[in-house]
Amino acid sequence: MAHEWIFIGIILLFGTIFAAVPLVVNTIVAPKKPNVLKNETYECGMETVGDTWIQFKVQYYIFSLVFVIFDVEIVFLFPWAVAYKQLPFFAVVEGVIFIVILAGGLLYAWRKGALDWV
Amino acid sequence: MSDKDSLDNMPVNEVASDSLVARFDGEVRSDTREGYEGYIVDANMLPEVASVLRDDLGYDYLSSVTGVDYIDDNHIEVVYHADQTTGGKGINLKVQLDRENPIVPTLVPIYPGADFQEREVFDMYGVKFDGHPNLRRILMWDGFHGYPLRKDWKEAYYEEDIKPFDSRWPGGGVKRSEADNPYGKNVNYPPGFDINNWTPETDDSLYESLEKTNSNGKSLHTDSIVVNIGPQHPSTHGVFRMVVALDGETITDLQPVMGYLHRNHEKIGERNTFLQNMPYTDRLDYLCSMSNNLGYALAVEQLMGADVPERAQYIRVLMAELTRISNHMWAIGFLLNDLGAFQTPALYAIRARELILDVFEATAGSRMMCNYMRFGGLARDFPDTLRGEDTVKFITDLVDNTLPKAIDELDHFLTANEIVRSRCIGVGVLPPDKAIAYSTGGPLLRASGVSYDLRTADPYSIYDRFDFNICTRSNGDVYDRYLVRVDEMRESTRICQQVMRDIPAEGEIFSGKPQYSVKVPAGESYGRVENPKGELGYYVVSTGKANPYRYHVRAPSFVNLTVLGELCKGHKVADAVVILGSIDIVLGEVDR
Amino acid sequence: MIGIVIEALIKSALIAFVLLTAFAYLTFAERKIAALMQVRKGPNRVGPWGLLQPAADGIKLIFKEEVMPAGADKVLFFLAPILTMIPAIVIVAVIPLGPDVELFGRTIRLGITDLNVGLLYILAIASVAVYGIVLAGWSSANKYALLGGLRASAQMISYEIALGLSIIGPIMLAGTLSLQGIVQAQQSSTWYVLWQPLGAMIFLIAGLAELNRAPFDMPEAEQELTAGYFTEYSGMKFSLFFMGEYIKMVAVSAIATTLFFGGYLGPFVDKLPWLGILYFAIKTVGFLFLMIWIRLTLPRLRYDQLMAFGWKVLLPLALFNVVITAVVIVFVG
Repeated sequence: MAHEWIFIGIILLFGTIFAAVPLVVNTIVAPKKPNVLKNETYECGMETVGDTWIQFKVQYYIFSLVFVIFDVEIVFLFPWAVAYKQLPFFAVVEGVIFIVILAGGLLYAWRKGALDWV
Repeated sequence: MSDKDSLDNMPVNEVASDSLVARFDGEVRSDTREGYEGYIVDANMLPEVASVLRDDLGYDYLSSVTGVDYIDDNHIEVVYHADQTTGGKGINLKVQLDRENPIVPTLVPIYPGADFQEREVFDMYGVKFDGHPNLRRILMWDGFHGYPLRKDWKEAYYEEDIKPFDSRWPGGGVKRSEADNPYGKNVNYPPGFDINNWTPETDDSLYESLEKTNSNGKSLHTDSIVVNIGPQHPSTHGVFRMVVALDGETITDLQPVMGYLHRNHEKIGERNTFLQNMPYTDRLDYLCSMSNNLGYALAVEQLMGADVPERAQYIRVLMAELTRISNHMWAIGFLLNDLGAFQTPALYAIRARELILDVFEATAGSRMMCNYMRFGGLARDFPDTLRGEDTVKFITDLVDNTLPKAIDELDHFLTANEIVRSRCIGVGVLPPDKAIAYSTGGPLLRASGVSYDLRTADPYSIYDRFDFNICTRSNGDVYDRYLVRVDEMRESTRICQQVMRDIPAEGEIFSGKPQYSVKVPAGESYGRVENPKGELGYYVVSTGKANPYRYHVRAPSFVNLTVLGELCKGHKVADAVVILGSIDIVLGEVDR
Repeated sequence: MIGIVIEALIKSALIAFVLLTAFAYLTFAERKIAALMQVRKGPNRVGPWGLLQPAADGIKLIFKEEVMPAGADKVLFFLAPILTMIPAIVIVAVIPLGPDVELFGRTIRLGITDLNVGLLYILAIASVAVYGIVLAGWSSANKYALLGGLRASAQMISYEIALGLSIIGPIMLAGTLSLQGIVQAQQSSTWYVLWQPLGAMIFLIAGLAELNRAPFDMPEAEQELTAGYFTEYSGMKFSLFFMGEYIKMVAVSAIATTLFFGGYLGPFVDKLPWLGILYFAIKTVGFLFLMIWIRLTLPRLRYDQLMAFGWKVLLPLALFNVVITAVVIVFVG
């Protein structure tokens, strides 16, 4: 089994090389003529106003919280799905109940307005 | 207004005149100068007169606000043109102000549509509009010195007051005044200005004027963010800038900023002779040069009293309506681009437009900058053949088959598209009362359910001979504006079909003899046409000389933008782009 | 052991090379197809039929000056494109391109490898991909980029849930997380798209959203955000984002092929195993064409509509699909 991860390791290496090499070549061959105006932040030709790294709308973080909850629960579904055909009937019912609870959680988030982007 | 019968029989103007002059005895008087009409109002009475005009006399639509600098009489005149959205001739009011200290009460509370136009008059003439909510320069930059449309203002590299300049006249030898103007000469800087230590002005006041919602107590703290959309932006249709205050992705305030393409079209127009201005009008709304030509020709013909031959009239209408189709094709195609479609609808839309441009090219010699109309007719008649076909047959086939098919195709693929509908319905809603108050025009106004179209409201050329409908919709959102454009294209093809049916096969296309310098009697005129984007008006004042004394363009794109901020508030950033696309602006006309 | 390493090196190099070529010609194909659909000619100047256009683009980009905004977070700004590119290549490691073949006396897998947790691996790598984009958006210190990055991350996590749920169907049917196993299971039954039409549809839609492809290309919505999270990127760094996006397109198409359309299966594959690669390529190209076609046809949703669609339509549907699959398997067997 372990040797399969050798393959993964090696393609990871290749991925890194393929991503890094063009950047390195680029830094060698490309001209470098920076100046103050060129390095300004692009904002349609105007000087940017105010801070960019702001405290963004909290709604955004709520999405990630909801995501974490659901993602973890979906991971629980994977082993259940893999072994599904070997499971006794009771486990099937359990699985369905689990999904219904998930749906209930979704409904709750929905009703609370956590799923509305602003 | 007691005698009902006599009121009904009188032309609208006289009703207005009688009651205005009667009501404001001494404060409103008829303009009796030779060639002028309308009323001269005392500056301090203006708001009251305007309220009466709007509420009692039904002039609910303020079309144009502009100024004229009568330097010899030492006064600046502010000219207001108002209309009734039920139709009929317009009325004009004038306020005469002292050149040294021109102050007039603002009309923004009565006609919100005066907002940008008053700012323009302030910018160009220095007239202070007392009580205006945001009286800043609009086309020039904030630190600009002087008022460019005043007669005593001279631009950099100024040569002479009027064209043709001696230096460039044949035989006079070509002398470029740029050559003998060393850097700095004849350039006016504000007092204390030092070019070497100058840094570009910041828009602090503009940024601070935006409404922001910072941490509203109840929920967690959120920062508001101010973003410039434009001038260098892919979807502002040119160098147009929207300064947007965002709360998350919701727009809390939006201020349009324009003038990046300002070239002082009107000052150039006053330097030019009357006829020299014709090609300049092409460059206003460069997608609709034919109907720009028509508006200007009408304004000057009104002054001259020139007749236009029958055949020329028909060709004029044909060209204006083809222009409308081509403009709406463009507008719809690029609205879809603004919605995020990857060019495909736009390219199919402008494919049909290419054929229209072929017609323009064959008749006028240019696809976009047509320079086709003349005072009293047209520059030339149809050519015999177009793309190897008989011209009349080509155009007839175009308006009978090709264009209706292209319109049906757009309609078929776009109108019912689920994403188009969900992006457009209920976005940027403009109620009819606001649409009128903000002086919007064209599809923007008619999508709100106001059936106001100059072609029937105040018919010009020979539009009264054709059978067509004014297309309206009732919701006033982006989707309805799109639908109105589709409908209008269909009506335009109907008009074109009638033109091709009724046009006299032979005949003059120009009355009188062609000449470079026309004789225009002294007076004023306001010639206007229903351009594809809205009411395009030309206010021309002549003193009987070869050049217009005043040449003002009431640009529909510019006036329609007044309502943009209002429409965008509360919507998402993506909607602002779509709303702007649905207003359909061309920067050549906004900035002039 | 050495043999394995050599095999891995050769296969990785081959796959990476194939992916880069696929990227280059995918951009070319997209431009050409766009042109044909829009009554234009498309690129036709460099080489015969413009076929060398991608090479010309690559050479141009590599000689381009890199501009880094003064206010940017330098390290993250540099890392972000690499972080986008690596997962795009690594994700294809577990996709089987054909059945095992005998070569040089060894049994060789067509495809890099086969993990018994293959699908989990894919989901995990797909989640990593979002980092590059968020970091790019944040480190640029540009407001459009910030909004684009925020949108991208919210969008990707939202659709990841529907994506994860949509692949539970094939897992239940095949009883394995290995992609090779899922393909072989489809040999004995039939393509899973017939059993899982809803699942396949959800996978494709969520896949498009994960890729930030039209009509879900909100993060780089040109019309409002100029170029979204890579507004400030130029030269090679920009093209790495581009590359990452297009290679991910290939990867998602390949995964969709494997999970729902029988992977490399087709007539005579059991006798001529190399044919598998051809079948696999044809199916994948079909999906790529579909993606390009969709991009050329549809306008873009608005961001809040997109989020609402993901959470309020796609997610409940995906949950429903899991329940239905479970019930049907119990009663039909």
